Amino acid sequence: MLAGYDTLITTIALFAILAYSFHVVLMAGQLSLGQAGFASLAAYVSTLVVPTEPIAGSLSPVLVGLPVGALVGAAAAFVVGLPVLRLRGVFLAIATIAFGEMVRVVINNAEWTNGALGVRVEKWVTFDFAWIIVAVLAYLFWRLGPSRSGRAFAAVREDELAAGAMGVDVVRTRMASFVASGAIAGVYGVMFAYFFGRITPATFDFALTVDGLITAVLGGYLVFFGPVLGAGFLTLVPEIQKALGLEAGWIHPLVTGTLLLAVVLFLPGGLSTLFSRLRRAPARPGPDYAPLDSLDPLPDPGTPIASVTGLAKSYGAVDAVRGVDLEIRSGEVLGVIGPNGAGKTTLVNMISGLEPPTAGEGQILGVPLGSRPHRFAQAGVSRTFQHSKLFERLTVLDNVLVGTHVVSRSTYLRRLLWLPSARRDERRALALAWAQLERVGLADRAGLRPGALSYGDRRRLEIARALAAHPTLLILDEPAAGMNHVEAAELATLIRGLADDGVTVLFIEHNVKMVLEACTRLVVLDFGEVIAEGEPREVASDPRVIEAYLGTEAEAPEESEHV
Amino acid sequence: MLLQQLANGVFAGSIYALFAIGFTLVFGVLRHLNLAHPAVFTAGAFVGIEVAARTAIPVWILFPVVALFGALAGVLVERIAFRPLRGRDDEHFAGLISSVALGGVVIALLQARYGTEPQSFSADYFPNQLFEFAGVRVTLTQLVTLGLALVLMLGLAWLVSATSLGRSMRAVAENPTAAKVLGVNVGRVTAGTYALSSALGTVAGALLALNLGQAGRDLGASIELVGFAVIILGGLGSLWGAMAAGVVLGIAEALTIHLFDSTWKSMVAFALLFAVLVLRPRGLFGQVKVREV
Repeated sequence: MLAGYDTLITTIALFAILAYSFHVVLMAGQLSLGQAGFASLAAYVSTLVVPTEPIAGSLSPVLVGLPVGALVGAAAAFVVGLPVLRLRGVFLAIATIAFGEMVRVVINNAEWTNGALGVRVEKWVTFDFAWIIVAVLAYLFWRLGPSRSGRAFAAVREDELAAGAMGVDVVRTRMASFVASGAIAGVYGVMFAYFFGRITPATFDFALTVDGLITAVLGGYLVFFGPVLGAGFLTLVPEIQKALGLEAGWIHPLVTGTLLLAVVLFLPGGLSTLFSRLRRAPARPGPDYAPLDSLDPLPDPGTPIASVTGLAKSYGAVDAVRGVDLEIRSGEVLGVIGPNGAGKTTLVNMISGLEPPTAGEGQILGVPLGSRPHRFAQAGVSRTFQHSKLFERLTVLDNVLVGTHVVSRSTYLRRLLWLPSARRDERRALALAWAQLERVGLADRAGLRPGALSYGDRRRLEIARALAAHPTLLILDEPAAGMNHVEAAELATLIRGLADDGVTVLFIEHNVKMVLEACTRLVVLDFGEVIAEGEPREVASDPRVIEAYLGTEAEAPEESEHV
Repeated sequence: MLLQQLANGVFAGSIYALFAIGFTLVFGVLRHLNLAHPAVFTAGAFVGIEVAARTAIPVWILFPVVALFGALAGVLVERIAFRPLRGRDDEHFAGLISSVALGGVVIALLQARYGTEPQSFSADYFPNQLFEFAGVRVTLTQLVTLGLALVLMLGLAWLVSATSLGRSMRAVAENPTAAKVLGVNVGRVTAGTYALSSALGTVAGALLALNLGQAGRDLGASIELVGFAVIILGGLGSLWGAMAAGVVLGIAEALTIHLFDSTWKSMVAFALLFAVLVLRPRGLFGQVKVREV
């Protein structure tokens, strides 16, 4: 029945495999376009290394070639990734394109590859075998989506800085997606060779890269079956055209281009979002989960948890922070105030690892200053940002689930095997996330995207996400900015409640009334230096503080303007 | 012989530069990488050939006509592929894809109108005069190419630095929101930037076709990757950098052909590109900014 369509069906499968090699990097937000190079290396190495006759009587060369190809692709990606992954966006794209083209030129000119003539092999790939490979890939991605690693990919894609602050090792996650992409591209190269029976340097050119990218984007990289959908769609367009009796050669590229344009403009998530819009609203896990019991206890009140001395940061000739000494003890609510440009955000950026200090030393929860952000997060530092950095294409609940990264274990491999313990761990993370949503009063909006929330709710969501990490030290950068009086008062209550639970809070705020209500100790910065420190009321009446921060009038303004 | 190769490199490089400054202009002002640029470049070549065949207008009228077409095409590219994406979370990524898609549509339309065969200038359209300076042979076409490229690049540099449109462009490049607040018509500057970029691109396409005598649908694709190399080497967004890098790359390619053979020609561009990206992402001529955030 399928006899006449063998090639067509296998072509769809091959394109889907190619598209998966783009899917995996796009999932993590990396525009990497070196797949043609990885596929080429893998195809050449495996066809030349693997014997042409079945091994041990029955093992066909493609079965041996696939792992070889995957390995070559992954290894090449790792080696290329080391220097290249420092780049981002179009720079990464262009560097990886350059790599692919260099591979093509070298293979074209080398002796061992038979130059432009290419290599001939037997055809071993049948359409059912090709689809088994696609099914395996689809399964891998299906299980990845709602796992801890899958959420880490999504977090890195949406906002690298926030992902790092939530404890995701951004460098490792990007490399993992890059190497996986190389491995899948390698599989594609080998499959291609053993299906079409011939490879030449021109097989793996820039046009192939564009095709793979288009397929992955058209299908959609937010849903696991996107590549299959994209491959099916793009392969069937010329068939439908033929069936309709439209022979002109230009119709196919015209239709493909128009279709792609329409999808990008009107269906940002790709074709697959058409099929995944019917998802149920997330449900609260049953009452049988008491997640908070299983968390490590916070340090006793009064224990020193952080101390820094001589902390400084300069940007070129501008000294943002100069010689700050600070000690933080468990259980306190430390307020940091100061005029705009006083260095408050720079200070907390250094304390949470987002920026390395230019000078000074110290440790935060045992992590030396200057370490990468995820180390601080793993040690128990969690934070929000002055300009909210939410994962915009994840739901409210998924945003908070990313927050549980540092207090949960990796579940991906166990999910592949359907181990019950993976399910338990995911349920636990879910219960933790729900608890935080309820704590800040957002439980009824769990299924929305952050873009649909009000400004105040977005700030609350950031706090819930930070709390989901079960932090020892919670850093809030102007949490009340943009909130009205009622919301700010609620926030002050929430912060005091956190302190009662043993969480240490460091917060930057312009709303002086709120600072005085919520904090137990106050630090005032001006021009990057600490000008006063101590009991809030006393500090607020210090003439130097009044002059530097509140202006010359003694009355503290009820609502300080936020710029 | 070497001198001849160097001269050829300079001529090729001037076309690379002309192609690349259109690319880099849009990126510099608007942070868009317009991947429809190669297709517009190809369209410029085809339109140039058709207009020359139909009207037999002289070459100095042909290029302004092509530029006018290019300006129009540029405005359309912005309207179709970039404007609808403004303000979206994935604006930059989506812009890459939508411009690739639009480029594909443009090439398909060219195929619909001109078929699959390459189009040629008629042999007597432009005198193929030969000059010789110190043993280096140069055609009139090459001289016109170099001259026109120089005039256009200097003209663009003047426009950006000394006119009110250029001032607005620089303001938008620095900070679009602030420019808007200060009364710059950002929509018009955007359209103007695309018009300029595409006008330069189409003229570059027609010039390359004039040098080759003909143009195929893959004319733009053949120069696209070199264009990437040029804009990166020059420092993405830098006009002077792209001009210098275009010529440098043309000469480097010519030297590679001279020292090895032509199959290694494109290796230079990519090896240079790769090395620069890894070692000095701001480009050879790009300046280090103190802080971007």
